[in-house]
Amino acid sequence: MVTSLLSSDDLQQARALIEESGLSFDPPFDDMVGIFQGRRLVAVGARQGRVLKMLVVAADHQGGSLLDEVVTELVGRGFQNGIDSFFIFTAPGHATSFERLNFNLLVSSGKSALLEYGDGLRRYLARHQPLVLPGHNGAVVANCNPFTLGHRYLIEQAAASVEHLYLFVVREEKSLFPFDCRFRMVREGTGHLENVTLLDTSCYAVSSVTFPTYFLKDGDPGGGIQMELDLLLFASRIAPHFHIATRFVGSEPLSQTTAAYNAAMHRVLPPLGVGVRELARTERLGAAISASRVREKLCRKETAGLEELVPESTLEFLLSAEGRKIWQKGVPT
Amino acid sequence: MKKAQAGTLQSSDLMVFLEPAETLTVTIESAVLKQFGALIRAKVDEVLARHGVESGEVRITDRGALDYAIEARLETALARATEA
Repeated sequence: MVTSLLSSDDLQQARALIEESGLSFDPPFDDMVGIFQGRRLVAVGARQGRVLKMLVVAADHQGGSLLDEVVTELVGRGFQNGIDSFFIFTAPGHATSFERLNFNLLVSSGKSALLEYGDGLRRYLARHQPLVLPGHNGAVVANCNPFTLGHRYLIEQAAASVEHLYLFVVREEKSLFPFDCRFRMVREGTGHLENVTLLDTSCYAVSSVTFPTYFLKDGDPGGGIQMELDLLLFASRIAPHFHIATRFVGSEPLSQTTAAYNAAMHRVLPPLGVGVRELARTERLGAAISASRVREKLCRKETAGLEELVPESTLEFLLSAEGRKIWQKGVPT
Repeated sequence: MKKAQAGTLQSSDLMVFLEPAETLTVTIESAVLKQFGALIRAKVDEVLARHGVESGEVRITDRGALDYAIEARLETALARATEA
């Protein structure tokens, strides 16, 4: 029987079993479950959001259905918590054990494979099928937290050089401005461009699944492999669906993580048929325009000079009652 | 109808997920989809029709379940979806 692992003795056994298998005990998690034989823990697994992790079956109990039982329990509990698609990162050699359970291999690089249960990527692409246009299309993936003149410049330049531009706004709720506000600012700031289509990234680009360290401050050792999978997924599954031949990105003089992501883009995308064009950032008042510069100003409750950095539509939002409520809390950038 | 789920990921079983939706969609993933996809689908349609289900998202991941297992799991999920 699968049970929750809650007591300190349970967790100690879980840690030992996980570390014995060569994985590391990796909190935090929303759920951790396991199977006991007598008093000995013989199988364990955990779920953090949409990601299943630390799945281990004791060496002398492998080959049965223990893994299936643990995953069933984690998926069932996750579904009750509103999650309809689940991810596993594993070594490419272990991918088939999960494919047996109806996980789909999304992408695999040298060291790591990403699998999904719940068919979410196919459903995401199917949902956006009406937006698919033929031609030589381009893409921008951006968080727009908030939407700045820098974003607008990048999007205008990109839109002018392709038949159709898909603008993917990061869906993840890990930013100062909630997704629906960011999406609205982008829609209002790009309404003048006829060949631009807005859509959300769901969890398939720059999300806490594909690229969790994007939302952390600079410097995470595991981030390199992650961003590579994020980009491989984009190039192999998303770009072909929307006929995207070029991904546009602003140069990154400020954030280390984003600069590394840009560098990875140049390395990963072109061999898979997606060109990368990096455009120099617009400068205002002696420095590149960036959303973080806007957030720093807002953090200091400084609204003078915002019009140098953001378009009128964003400014209007920032100064509205709804916008003020978000930044006047004084949330750090 | 509310969200509901039934079944397991074990071999010879299936997992059924039901969610409210405006139209009826059924998707089936199975290791034996090529050989038995049409039969699984017919069974699912039959059970849905018998219960008068005309809308909702039905997702099934199958690992080679037999007919009666498909019927039982789907009926359990439907019962859970409609219970108060």
